[in-house]
Amino acid sequence: MTTSPVKLWRRQKNVASLIGKKGKILQWTIIRVPVKSFVDSAPYSVVIVKVQNGENMIGQLVDWQKEDLKVGQEVVCVLRRLPTEEKEDVIYYNIKFKPL
Amino acid sequence: MKISILGTATTKFGELWNVSPRTLAREAMINALNASGLKASQIGALFVGNMLSGILGNQANLGSLLVEELGVAIPAFRIEGACASGGLALHNAINSIKAGQYKTVLVLGIEKMTDHSQDEIANALMAAGSDEERMAGATFPGLYALMAQAYMQKYKVTEEDLAAVSVKNHYHGTLNPKAQFQFPVTIADVMKSSKIADPLKLLDCSPISDGAAAVVIGNETSSKKVKKEVFIVASEVATDSLGLHARKSFTSLAAVVEAGEKAYKKAGLKPKDINVAEIHDCFSISEVIAVEDLGFSKKGEGALDIARNKRTLFKGDIICNPSGGLKACGHPVGATGIKQIVEIVEQLRGEAGKRQVEKAKIGLTHNVGGSGAVAAIHILRI
Repeated sequence: MTTSPVKLWRRQKNVASLIGKKGKILQWTIIRVPVKSFVDSAPYSVVIVKVQNGENMIGQLVDWQKEDLKVGQEVVCVLRRLPTEEKEDVIYYNIKFKPL
Repeated sequence: MKISILGTATTKFGELWNVSPRTLAREAMINALNASGLKASQIGALFVGNMLSGILGNQANLGSLLVEELGVAIPAFRIEGACASGGLALHNAINSIKAGQYKTVLVLGIEKMTDHSQDEIANALMAAGSDEERMAGATFPGLYALMAQAYMQKYKVTEEDLAAVSVKNHYHGTLNPKAQFQFPVTIADVMKSSKIADPLKLLDCSPISDGAAAVVIGNETSSKKVKKEVFIVASEVATDSLGLHARKSFTSLAAVVEAGEKAYKKAGLKPKDINVAEIHDCFSISEVIAVEDLGFSKKGEGALDIARNKRTLFKGDIICNPSGGLKACGHPVGATGIKQIVEIVEQLRGEAGKRQVEKAKIGLTHNVGGSGAVAAIHILRI
């Protein structure tokens, strides 16, 4: 995971501009064996989304039911907290996708 | 200029807890040198393919570390391109000979992975992905699972069809004494193994492995020991976007298609001319997409051809992964690209024992880094 505060700060501007944008799921999976920093979140869904008037993005799906896991499902970009490994780490918020 | 194989060696692949990275590397290098009949002092340079040493072991400067093991002070370079590190090291080694800088060089691929826990390895491997993929909590099984979903939907292929890849490669592994897994699996075994990232299950995935492999190459046969000469007639590399999400297609790897086409052209060969291939089957879906991207099977028929035994030893036309592939032979990431070369050389020389492909004259290796961000293709012939 990215932990440098400077790196996170640089990314933040772009993140804000994406909140509320809609898109469609191009492909989905459920990660059951995660990387270290996401151990407490597993299993979780990772999707590739075609964002309206924009490029493809990869991110996690949140607040989903099984029937939301399908190609073409409409989603909206929401701001969500990412897990931190150390107590002193900067708390970072990133775009995740919520089914509509 | 002809590039000739002078000597090859691989260590046993597997969970080698009693062996250090130095010892592993030394075994492969010394055995390859012995096979070539050359001394370390006759080697112009060392090229090392390795991905994780800096991340997992906090050990960089592998070139210097490993020539120290050889006991010579020759130029040495570490090349990194994720799981294609071995193939990229070989490509650079070949170019150095073609440029006239060195006459004979030693190429080593090495990875020591099992000293670390599974989530540490998953984390370290994600260094080969993009920032966005890491922030999403994606893993490599996860990225290939996205491709598998896309492929299954597009071509109406089932999880059982994909499982045929693991069944074939485990069968081949039973014939390879150096393989990590030397036992067969059935479609039912694959289907009931635990889910890693839907639809991929444990037995769709290559393992975490330790291993090293080495080759000595030169611009002419300067060794009396080499009875049957094998030449590298094409060495091509292509790249693509780092992240999977930016690609136009999730069911084909553009870097493989491009490197493959260039390699066939350079060698003056067509896909049907290949007798035997070592394929980068990091996941079952990877081999399916690879046999299509390399032109062995038609689009959408890769999995079915594998299920019909068209890629299986003693039955098929173009035999894929006689070593057991990454799935059964093991996948020490930096070593894989070189191990593939060692296997093809043994096949072309007729020295592959129980897993010998009959009348093998032309072989190909397919080595991929990341989710298809880089590919190295080599064609060898006698």
